[in-house]
Amino acid sequence: MLRVMSRRGDDRVTWDVQKVLEGDPEATAAVREAERIFAQERARGATAFRTDPGKPTQRIEQFDKTAEQIVLVPRVVGG
Amino acid sequence: MSLITQVLPTLGWIVIALVITPMVWLIIQPYFKGILRAQRRAADLLRDVLTPEQLRQLTWSGYLDIPSSTEPRRVYRVPMTKGFVQVVENGRIVMRLCVQPGEYLPDADVVALHKLMIEADEENYLLRANKYLCID
Repeated sequence: MLRVMSRRGDDRVTWDVQKVLEGDPEATAAVREAERIFAQERARGATAFRTDPGKPTQRIEQFDKTAEQIVLVPRVVGG
Repeated sequence: MSLITQVLPTLGWIVIALVITPMVWLIIQPYFKGILRAQRRAADLLRDVLTPEQLRQLTWSGYLDIPSSTEPRRVYRVPMTKGFVQVVENGRIVMRLCVQPGEYLPDADVVALHKLMIEADEENYLLRANKYLCID
């Protein structure tokens, strides 16, 4: 799942990795959409984190469709 | 006569208010619903990224202690609502940090943002923060 923090709380794109591997067109389209959003938000200065339950949070630079959850955090500034 | 001239305008205003109020509510209702939905979604995300212990601490204490991954004696104390993040070393507040998202986010999202950045991108987090040293 890709979760993008926003004023709406968060926007989500979900996909089933198993179905992607099986070539399911709907799941593949969801992954493509998530990849597009990932690239777009990264270009705007967002930082991406991979958060898998029971594992330490990891900062990532590349989209990973096998991640259980990717959270995109908008650009931060000193206040 | 004078009583009627006094009462009639008042009744007129009451009728106008009764007609206008539902219309105004219909206009502003989506805005309030949007705010509530955003807060609920942000709270869901925060629950998903916190451990049960962290969630308990945030609920009961109103702040979240996140240990530094680079300095063993350092803890970042993130408030549940807007405010400075305190840097605690050996039980003493040594610094206050001001870091905020470049765009508006619900409070729960801001807490999640601090947690993710401190745990996985501490160096960058500190680079971006405005730091206020606490001198006793």
